[in-house]
Amino acid sequence: MSSTLNRKMPPAAADELGPTPVDGGWGWMVVLGAHISIGFAYTTPKALSIFFRPIKEDLGASYSEIAWISSIMLAVMYAGGPVSSVLVRRFGSRPVVMMGGLMCGVSMVTASFGSSIIYLYLCIGIIGGWGLCFNLNASLTIISKYFLAKRPLANGLAMAGSPVFLCVLAPLNQYLLGHFGWRGSLLILGGMMLNCCVAGAVMRPVARQSTPPKEVDQPNNTKSKGSRLDKVKTFVDLSFFKNPGFVIYLVGNVMFIFGAYAPIVFLSAYAVSRGVEEYSAAYLLSIMGFVDMFVRPLTGLVANSRWVRPRIQFLFSFAMVFNGTFHLLCPLMSTYPLLVAYAVFFGVGFGMVFALIFECLMDLMGNQRFPSAVGLVTIIECFPMLLGPPAAGLLVDIFDDYKYLFFMCGGVITTGGLFLFVMNVYNYNRLEKANRGKETEQDQNTVEKQEQASSSEARMELMDSEVKEANTARPEPQPKEETC
Amino acid sequence: MKQLPIIILLTLATCRLTSSETVGPTPTPLGPVSSLPMNTKSVHLTGDNKIENVELLNPVNLSMECIWTGNQNNQPNITGYWRKGGVEIQDSRVPVDPENQQYTLRRVFNIASEEHLGNYTCVFENEAELDFILAVPQIGEKREKPIVSYVGDFVILTCKMEDSKPAPRTWYWFKNNGTNKEQLFEAQRYDITVDGRNTKLKVKDVSEADSGVYHCAAVYNISTSTNKMHLKVITIWEPLKPFLSILVEVVILVTAILIYERSHSKKKEAEANGPNADPKPQGEDDEAEESSSVRQRKT
Repeated sequence: MSSTLNRKMPPAAADELGPTPVDGGWGWMVVLGAHISIGFAYTTPKALSIFFRPIKEDLGASYSEIAWISSIMLAVMYAGGPVSSVLVRRFGSRPVVMMGGLMCGVSMVTASFGSSIIYLYLCIGIIGGWGLCFNLNASLTIISKYFLAKRPLANGLAMAGSPVFLCVLAPLNQYLLGHFGWRGSLLILGGMMLNCCVAGAVMRPVARQSTPPKEVDQPNNTKSKGSRLDKVKTFVDLSFFKNPGFVIYLVGNVMFIFGAYAPIVFLSAYAVSRGVEEYSAAYLLSIMGFVDMFVRPLTGLVANSRWVRPRIQFLFSFAMVFNGTFHLLCPLMSTYPLLVAYAVFFGVGFGMVFALIFECLMDLMGNQRFPSAVGLVTIIECFPMLLGPPAAGLLVDIFDDYKYLFFMCGGVITTGGLFLFVMNVYNYNRLEKANRGKETEQDQNTVEKQEQASSSEARMELMDSEVKEANTARPEPQPKEETC
Repeated sequence: MKQLPIIILLTLATCRLTSSETVGPTPTPLGPVSSLPMNTKSVHLTGDNKIENVELLNPVNLSMECIWTGNQNNQPNITGYWRKGGVEIQDSRVPVDPENQQYTLRRVFNIASEEHLGNYTCVFENEAELDFILAVPQIGEKREKPIVSYVGDFVILTCKMEDSKPAPRTWYWFKNNGTNKEQLFEAQRYDITVDGRNTKLKVKDVSEADSGVYHCAAVYNISTSTNKMHLKVITIWEPLKPFLSILVEVVILVTAILIYERSHSKKKEAEANGPNADPKPQGEDDEAEESSSVRQRKT
């Protein structure tokens, strides 16, 4: 253990590892809060589609005008990432999530009195989208603050909120629609979203920080010690692009998101075109969601294990390739039992990727840079997410055959996964060689690095430079020895 | 003697009537039978098809024909007959001889009004049969879920005949009133618009009495095709109740969590003032102890 680390370890870091236990205790309550928050964030845009038909009839709008509500909500939710990051860094997760919950509640309640489609765009799309954006970003950040050794598991459990809430909200919305109409349902949904405030209340700030958190952690740029420069770049920190690990992750992610959602959107239609009756076709998506629910925490558990955690980026690329391969195989599934099998494997692949998607970013960037990194990632992901399903739809229209959609999505995702795998191998080798050159400065660390050819590399660099600057440091790699 | 021309005329008239083809399966209607257009429906019995749907808009003479290719027995003589609504039509039994190894059973039906629509079956006795379902175009979209509206608001009920089916002559709207259907007309509170295949009923300033089952009827010359929907009118109070209860729950939980945290941290503060090495960042003198304790945990 490096003595230099301990000597320079400030109270803030120590507190985090102190008896308000990280990796357990109240942390699990925080995971529950994040679960609820993330659940609403991902499910609401999808679950609202149940109300589209009644809204369309009442307001006399066209179907595409109504569908824009969800698109605006998703776009704002992702694009608002950097703003959310700034707020989280400044105020911590709790106020941001509580604010997000309040905004979501207000958005739905005001929408229930709406009488024009533009009004709904504003209420649900913009205000609701911002609320969800705050929820998502802040929940992910707080997990990275509370957990380290068990972080993959915590991430898996929190991300499982998405399929769980989808399974609950979809039938619930149907029930509400039948009893209260779309206006009453939105009102009640708004009330339910206020529970995000409860989730926020649970997100107790980790420690009283002796130094205000600043954007100082750039191992590639040790000159930014003063960190005054960073205030200029508070919203979008372009220096992230200098980090090869980040860029690799981003490219892989963009490719995944592009191909990820179209199969979900078109699965029932594809099944119906293969002769499956409509009710059973809808059931396929429920199967996928149900499997997803269990796979996410399980993946978190697996990712937490001693063998996998150092190689978590490889597990991530494996998950992507797995997902993509099954999309490529889908056109071969011509009978209902085969389609059910596809839905199951789709659920597995999808769950694995999403359980790891933010864990890998935390792994790469470390706690300090994660909030900004995730903001940047989400705003960039906005584009493939909005373009993916329409592009796939266009393929279906041109060729009048669903198989090209699956080939495209499967191809893009598999390529992304392979890209991640290959580039990560290359990157780790490169880092390993670079670190060997610094042997004289940190002997013990180098030994550790050589023992663990893994993502700890990137974090080791980060840690070293942080220690040098005597700022809040996170001894990230060390808990690896503790991992279960 | 003066009556003779009249008698002759009457006789001739009667002869005329009796000589024209009386083809109605039910008591012959009085209308000019032969002036209706003739439609033909010819179906081969393959063993797979059991039902043939026939869409009719106007009164017509419908010639229905069943062609059966027989089986190995190749009987020379089969009896064929027709059924309506499951009941054998009188005088419809005919012997059917095979022609080119095909048995053909044909009959012309006078479909003049609503009661002539229904389920007709051609039967090759003990061998094969096929149902013809004669009906007006049905409205495809079935609304199983109720339409919910709020007191004082307006609601628009719509019906649409699919583009693939012929457009009706007009549309009527009805509301269930007890066991009767009461027709709705343009009035202060009702606005009915008919636009070819679409129709809209706008009910303004709804009240709870407007709840119930509504029917839209697509009117064709021969019959009407209906679709029903359920309108439910509720007050704003209905959804407000669950909303307020959830709001109360949220406020209680948030307050409880924050109070618990406040009291928890106060307890820790009390402990921190003691000499024990404390986890909370209350004092810098603990730093060294913390570091060493952390270190121990790590190694």
